[in-house]
Amino acid sequence: MILAAAHLKGPHIDWRSLSPLLALAGGGTLTLLVGLFGSRFVRAVLVPLLTIVAFGAFVGLSIWRFHHSASIVAGALRMDDLAFVLDLLLGTAGIATVLLAWRSRAVEEAGHGELHALLLFSVMGMAVLVSAQNTITLFVGFELLSIPLYVLCASELRTEQSLESGLKYLIVGSVGSATLVYGLALIYGATGSTDFGPIGQAISSGSIATDPLLLTGVALVLVGLAFKASVAPFHQWTPDVYEGAPTPITAFMAVATKAAALGIFLRFFDVALIGTQDTWGPALAALATVTIIVGNVGALGQSSLKRMLAYSSVAQAGYMLGGVVVGTQLGVKATVFYLAVYLAMNLAAFAVVVARERETPWRDDIRSVAGLGASRPLLAWPLTIAMLSLAGIPATAGFIGKIYLIDALVDGNYAWLGIVIVVGSMISLAYYLRVIAAMWMREAPEATPPVPAVRPAMAGAETAAETTRYPELAIVALVFGAASVVLGIVPGPLFHLVGHAGKAFGGLF
Amino acid sequence: MATTTWGWLILACPLAGTVIIGTGFRLWRGRMPGWIGTLAIGLAFVASVGAFFSLRNHPVEHRQLTSSLWNYAVTGGIDAKLQILVDPLSVFMCLVVSGVSTLIHLYSVAYMGSDRGYARFFGYLNYFVFSMLLLVLAGNFLILIVGWAFVGAASYMLISFWYRRTTATRAGIKAFVINVVGDVGLVLGTYFIFRHSHTLDFLATFKQAPTLGASHHGALVAGMLLLLVGAFAKSAQVPLHTWLPDAMEGPTPVSALIHAATMVTAGVYLIARMHPLFEHAQAAATVGAIGGCATLLIAATIALVVTDLKRVIAYSTMSQIGYMIMGVSSGAYAAGLFHLMTHAFFKALLFMAAGSVIAAMANEQSLDRMGGFRRAMPFTFACFIIGGLALSGVPPFSGWLSKDEILAFDATRGGAWWIFTVLGYLGALMTAVYTFRMIFRAFLGDPVPEALELEHGHIAHVEPPRNPATGEEEDTDVGFPGPEHHIAEREWPMKGAMGALALLATVGGLIQIPKVDNAISRFLEPAFGDSRFTHLEPSTAGAWLGLVVGAAFGLIGIAIAYRIWVQNPGFATRLRERVPALHRFLVNKWYFDEAIDLLFLRPATAFGRFAQSTFERLFVDGTLVGGTTGIVRVGSAAVRSLQAGLVRYYAAVLLLGLTVVGLYFLIQSS
Repeated sequence: MILAAAHLKGPHIDWRSLSPLLALAGGGTLTLLVGLFGSRFVRAVLVPLLTIVAFGAFVGLSIWRFHHSASIVAGALRMDDLAFVLDLLLGTAGIATVLLAWRSRAVEEAGHGELHALLLFSVMGMAVLVSAQNTITLFVGFELLSIPLYVLCASELRTEQSLESGLKYLIVGSVGSATLVYGLALIYGATGSTDFGPIGQAISSGSIATDPLLLTGVALVLVGLAFKASVAPFHQWTPDVYEGAPTPITAFMAVATKAAALGIFLRFFDVALIGTQDTWGPALAALATVTIIVGNVGALGQSSLKRMLAYSSVAQAGYMLGGVVVGTQLGVKATVFYLAVYLAMNLAAFAVVVARERETPWRDDIRSVAGLGASRPLLAWPLTIAMLSLAGIPATAGFIGKIYLIDALVDGNYAWLGIVIVVGSMISLAYYLRVIAAMWMREAPEATPPVPAVRPAMAGAETAAETTRYPELAIVALVFGAASVVLGIVPGPLFHLVGHAGKAFGGLF
Repeated sequence: MATTTWGWLILACPLAGTVIIGTGFRLWRGRMPGWIGTLAIGLAFVASVGAFFSLRNHPVEHRQLTSSLWNYAVTGGIDAKLQILVDPLSVFMCLVVSGVSTLIHLYSVAYMGSDRGYARFFGYLNYFVFSMLLLVLAGNFLILIVGWAFVGAASYMLISFWYRRTTATRAGIKAFVINVVGDVGLVLGTYFIFRHSHTLDFLATFKQAPTLGASHHGALVAGMLLLLVGAFAKSAQVPLHTWLPDAMEGPTPVSALIHAATMVTAGVYLIARMHPLFEHAQAAATVGAIGGCATLLIAATIALVVTDLKRVIAYSTMSQIGYMIMGVSSGAYAAGLFHLMTHAFFKALLFMAAGSVIAAMANEQSLDRMGGFRRAMPFTFACFIIGGLALSGVPPFSGWLSKDEILAFDATRGGAWWIFTVLGYLGALMTAVYTFRMIFRAFLGDPVPEALELEHGHIAHVEPPRNPATGEEEDTDVGFPGPEHHIAEREWPMKGAMGALALLATVGGLIQIPKVDNAISRFLEPAFGDSRFTHLEPSTAGAWLGLVVGAAFGLIGIAIAYRIWVQNPGFATRLRERVPALHRFLVNKWYFDEAIDLLFLRPATAFGRFAQSTFERLFVDGTLVGGTTGIVRVGSAAVRSLQAGLVRYYAAVLLLGLTVVGLYFLIQSS
């Protein structure tokens, strides 16, 4: 046996192309180990710094490998420009999350080393997922991103809501994973291959495009991925989990998980299953419509900012699904473009929510931002811009993103879905503008917390705590808020970048 | 310096003015913002002159220059750039806009002197001029739309400048809403053209005009008709004109700037700019000409009976814009733009003179209460007379030459276009009558108490100040007019601006005399050289005959006005009593407001109420919002008590969704 094993030839590995993933794996291991040191400085400063360095290396190596498309590890991973652009987004989201989580309760309770290592491994899962070119890698990436997230959601160990959120995510997430793996198995059964390329060839060459086995598999995969991208009606976990999870983790899930899920949507449906686009296109379009309606209507009545942003992220997932539906290069470009602007505007919004959560007794209630325009303009402006951009007001990045998506939809003969996007955006104005109105037109509420948790003797200490400012949060808010405007006024460079990502799928029109 | 650099400078000056006035409003003391604003617009005028001379150095066939500062979005079939087009047409418009605007700024420096929103006023005013210049310099449809919308926003801010006056804010909203209707028309029209031309660039689109006209004639006509909606809304043409008279609620310099010299001419400019497309969509061009002609007559009849001094001039503006729209729609581009220029001179002059009178009357605008200002305000009277003669088309004043050139062109074009010439002369007769009715009633006759007081050196004040339209009490703080009134006789900036305009209104027409110098036609030749109407030129005899007829009509009109309002003061009342129905019809402005109210507002309001009571209350509030939040509320209650149950519920929905998706795919598979 041992001898036989020795004769097995391992696949050739192109280490240079694999290097972005290695940076994350190495960083994760290192932070976990360094986090064991007792020194407060090492834990609270060095570990986050190391994590940022690891993310920086990940981004840097991705940029280095740009334009060097390669299928590596025996075709299991495809490191092309689409993967690199998405890696860029994932790395940015990771860095922002580290900044948001720095000095947060979650990081204190769960331990610096642990939390940051989990974060790095989760991003690695996402990076594997968006590069997956094989159903096995797809599933490995999917689980590698999910399992750390389950733990991260529960990282505020002493908060009941956080634990509940983690548990709920785990249970419902397992159903999603099971569905996905079942679907992948059926597709393997129908096509006889686990590689995307051969699956695609089998579908386009043979007569199995309408094979019940294959299509059942497609249906199950669709549901499994829809779950992760929080596409209605597989989104119900989203508001609960987003609300319960520590806010930095919520921000991370909102932007990074979405980028990864849509990345694999693009890769799996536009490469492996493109031959059955006539079949899954309408189904996906219908799901997108339901998602846009459910997300936007659900957000209307929310008073919790995190819940509102959760529903908003459901609606935005519906918009982005439009780029997948059409199965064209333009659709890929539009989706990636929107993912980038979605990252900017959501991170800006979440940074402000995190800041206000720490500064006011209102937690993430909309009252926490009331009167912000007068008291903290540096936080109010990024949130205003983020809300306007999410709503798609002209001269913001969200507007260009939506125009691009609608352009792709019209081009791909799904103009009606473009109209749904416009209608959805109109509804969304109601809840986005409500936040802006609260910031600029309402007075800050009396600083009495909803639950009388502060004893009179603590009043002095409470004031001292309130004066603690979090410059890193303001910086994240300002940087991404500025990006939401700049990309709306000068979208050229981003167009250029996503143009390369779109060309990664040479087979598409 | 490159010609297009001058073009960018034209835009940079007012923008810089806006920013400086707007950001430093706490620093500026006294009349500083006014001088900064005037200087900024003055520099824009200097830059326009620079562009003019620079353009003349180019050979005639290379006088259409574009320059783009940056590419906004140039991908897959869209070429959106920040691009300007400097050609004779845009330079001509820049000269008129920035030149007249400089004088209006100068006038405002004194006129608005005591207003508490002084800096804000000049910030808005500079922003308005910037928007207008952006509109005329636009090199593609995108920038045109941006400029177009900016102008609408600026006019809203300026009309509602006295924002604590409900009448002013209501007028601002009305203007904005009607302008947005026009914006929608412009955007949709652009889309119709862009769909087939695949470019936003003006020059590239115009090159394709013949092929578009041949292959997509229907779409082109539809697009042009939609552009006309935009042009009609901005230029206050029937039936989208109702905002203009109400816009007289704004300060008088605003009326002079927006409603005489610049904004309302945007529609004329648009048609002239789009002439290659209009010439291949003759149906749309004819609609434009008919609309212009109808406006010029309707507005003139209303102006005969309106008693508000500024509204008479406003209706006269509508009527004169009607001439221009009729001219450029029928192909008389140079003539239409020539009239645009002279009209800017004499109409701005009339508004300024009216502002002086209104100030002397302590903001009272009704002609019924005015009279006998001749001795008290000799300078204003002289300006009013000059403006009135130019407007009536009396030789040698500027309006005489420009108006008749449009009418002579229509006569030369022949056929049914003759009708426009005849109706145009009828309008000219009415113009002279209402213009001099206004002058005679305000300046001749027995002096009213305010005039007598002014003769003794005191400007009338009403304590406490009141809204002249409703009589509501006001104060003089920000949001209402200031406490002091300023008249031309006492303020040199007002006097200077009016003097310059009076000079231009007198001699400005002489640069284009048929068969003599034709300076404007020659300068604009490169822009309109591709027109199929270039060869259509009235014969010398015809042109001069037209001028004689026009002059005769003007003089007859003045004579009629003199007989009715000076020699027979009671005659007007008797006339009114003899045909009460007609008078009521005209005083109610042909019932356009009421018709719009009946046709659009009431059904929309009724529909809105209906939708609110049924759809929104029952469906949206009850089912959607109430329902989902209800579920969420019930759900979150369930979380605390019965957690497993909720996850089971999630799993159930998940399975249900999975079943539906699976079923769909299975049905597809068979």
